[in-house]
Amino acid sequence: MLGSVFTAFLVIGAALVLAIAFQRRCFAGYPAPPPGLAVLHRGEVAFIQAAAEVLFPDGAGLPVVGVDAHLPLYVDHHLSALPPRQRLQIRALLALFEHVTLVQPAGVPGGHDRFSSLPPAARIAVLERISSHETLSIRILFTALRAVLSLGYLGHPANLRELGLAPFEIEPAVSDAELLFPRVGALPLSNRHLLADRTDPTHRAPLDPDGPRHRAYLRSSRDSR
Amino acid sequence: MSDERGGADPDFAPERVANAASESGDWLAAARERVRVFAQYDGPIQEKADVVVVGSGPCGAVAAYELARAGKDVILVEEGPPFTVRDFELDGNLSMTRTMREGGLRMTRGTTMPTMQAVALGGGSLVNSAICVRPPQSVFDRWATGFELERTNREALDPHFDAIGAFLGIAPTPDAVQGRRNLLFRDACDALGLSSEPIARNVRGCRGSGECFTGCRSRAKQSMDVSYVPAALRAGARVMTSLQVQAVRHVGRRATGVAGHVVVPFSGGSRVGRTHRFSIDAKAVVLAAGCTATPVLLRHSGNLANRSGQVGRNLQFHPGVAIAGVFPEAVDPQFGATQGYQSLAFLDEGFKLETLWAPPPLLSMRFPGMGAELQARYAELPRMAVWDAIVGANRSLGEVRVRPWSTNPVLHWRLHPEDLAILRRALHVIARLFFAAGATKILPGVHGFAEQMVREEEARALDSPAVRPENLVMGGNHVFCTTRMHGDPTRGVVDEDGRCHDLENLYIADTGIFPMCPSVNPMWTGMALARRQALTLANRL
Repeated sequence: MLGSVFTAFLVIGAALVLAIAFQRRCFAGYPAPPPGLAVLHRGEVAFIQAAAEVLFPDGAGLPVVGVDAHLPLYVDHHLSALPPRQRLQIRALLALFEHVTLVQPAGVPGGHDRFSSLPPAARIAVLERISSHETLSIRILFTALRAVLSLGYLGHPANLRELGLAPFEIEPAVSDAELLFPRVGALPLSNRHLLADRTDPTHRAPLDPDGPRHRAYLRSSRDSR
Repeated sequence: MSDERGGADPDFAPERVANAASESGDWLAAARERVRVFAQYDGPIQEKADVVVVGSGPCGAVAAYELARAGKDVILVEEGPPFTVRDFELDGNLSMTRTMREGGLRMTRGTTMPTMQAVALGGGSLVNSAICVRPPQSVFDRWATGFELERTNREALDPHFDAIGAFLGIAPTPDAVQGRRNLLFRDACDALGLSSEPIARNVRGCRGSGECFTGCRSRAKQSMDVSYVPAALRAGARVMTSLQVQAVRHVGRRATGVAGHVVVPFSGGSRVGRTHRFSIDAKAVVLAAGCTATPVLLRHSGNLANRSGQVGRNLQFHPGVAIAGVFPEAVDPQFGATQGYQSLAFLDEGFKLETLWAPPPLLSMRFPGMGAELQARYAELPRMAVWDAIVGANRSLGEVRVRPWSTNPVLHWRLHPEDLAILRRALHVIARLFFAAGATKILPGVHGFAEQMVREEEARALDSPAVRPENLVMGGNHVFCTTRMHGDPTRGVVDEDGRCHDLENLYIADTGIFPMCPSVNPMWTGMALARRQALTLANRL
């Protein structure tokens, strides 16, 4: 009887220790995230910034570096728009990279630390190891992570503008679709277009390759887009 | 009543847009009354029609229009919402999230490859690059001999190709909007003695914004939401959006209608996004939900139309590979038709070459490396062009499987070694084209090989057996054959009229009925088949 009670205490104690360790590993010690995020928690924000710092460092000629590209905001926006299943997949990807050092330490003192707590060189080593792994499914994990972040990084208005790759300024056309349908989520009554508003695409000249770019890309802030 | 070839479309001739100013607004008010959008649904829905068409992509939209024009009471059902120009998202990633099923993150299993399906009024035509190719007779010859199809040939289908071509203004892309990256491809083909031509597209008045994939803000692209769907409305059809069809109802050998739920826009059709139930009774049902969705719908409907056991099987793709080439001077790639030039010189070998552009952040996903090296690649984007090949991989088969409690499919597919050999060959040809055009280097995007190649001799490695499927970054562009057409009811799902062998009044009108992949872009062919089906169905009703 006493042995059973002792065993139960041991099991409960071990579970508690594990739970505390899990809580500390996954949630404790992260800085407060920026305001306005709908989905990401502070650990995910820390990871994104840590990955952005080594994926898109300073000194490569683009005006915005990774840590200044507001990638948490971008990823948060992306996740908010995704269906639940895909949102979960992306969040699992972020968690996997943040804690991959539990099973594959970084090879430096403190190599078991969370990815976001590692020095930049160790973070690069972790990412390089995964990106060059001989197994396709593991390499794809890196490709997916880089894609999630590079979409936001290169898509930053200032970076696209600097490269001359921002979308053109185009006056929105009015076709039969604009005449017939309201905007997504709106009631039909909200559609004020008249037949006379319809534009004829065949009457417009080709764009000038050096012509003006979309006004949202003339500002430097992602928030303003 | 129409004959099977149908007539011209006098009400919707190309000049109709130019004459808009003289049009009466009466049709607009009446047509608006026949549209239903998510915000209008406030309870269970019960409707009746002669025909319900499920899916408003190119095939479904054509079918709905032709049936309505023949005087039938038609309801066109679409799971996605209609998009107006102001709903388009300039950011390519966010655009895909809103317009694609599974947020644009769908992947095949087996040989891993991303593949997409749009969920919007107009289906894929809203976000494709409007390529229209009339397959050569050799494609139909293979279909005829392998699948016991006597009436599916160029001669029989040409009137339908012609009618659709006239309606949509399908024409070669003019030089004025090609942009340098497309014309470099032409020059490269000339240098190697290969035939090439401007891509014919369903576009009127292209301005060269290069943003076909995120929605044409000029509305030059004649996607279904600006062409056939409005025409169907004008002809009397009703259009109901944000309705997810979950079952085809049937009694014995007759389909009696469809049922499902209203879904919140952008909810991915998941259970949490479903609201009211709906049901539509109809004398005939046309499934144009897409090659990967139609089999799921049939399986969820009690394994309907599957006595042959072929529903969901024979899945084929046009896997695509692309190479980026860097030129000494600026190419200004942002300007120009998204896909403006092509070469059919290697069609007999199984692949087609094209130019390609997409929002730069999407293109950059395949760049190698990280850190400063990766950023240096970004800096080369203004001097970059991307050319691709799509492969008629008709030996590589797969299957659409049903995911429990979901309308999204699980796609299993494996690349066959012989099709891999074609992909390798295509990669090498693209590389040669780039160097012939004066590129200083190429980024082949093949894992395990040089990340960049600066001499043509290096590119020979791309056509070596060392390139395996797992080395390639492929995209599954077009999807086929999961409800294939076959003259023998034990070997196919539908007959030459698109009618299911097992049911008297259930039709399928999407690329799932193709018996084999055609090696060229399938939209126009799918529409031609759908038009023929619709005219036949109209005569039968």
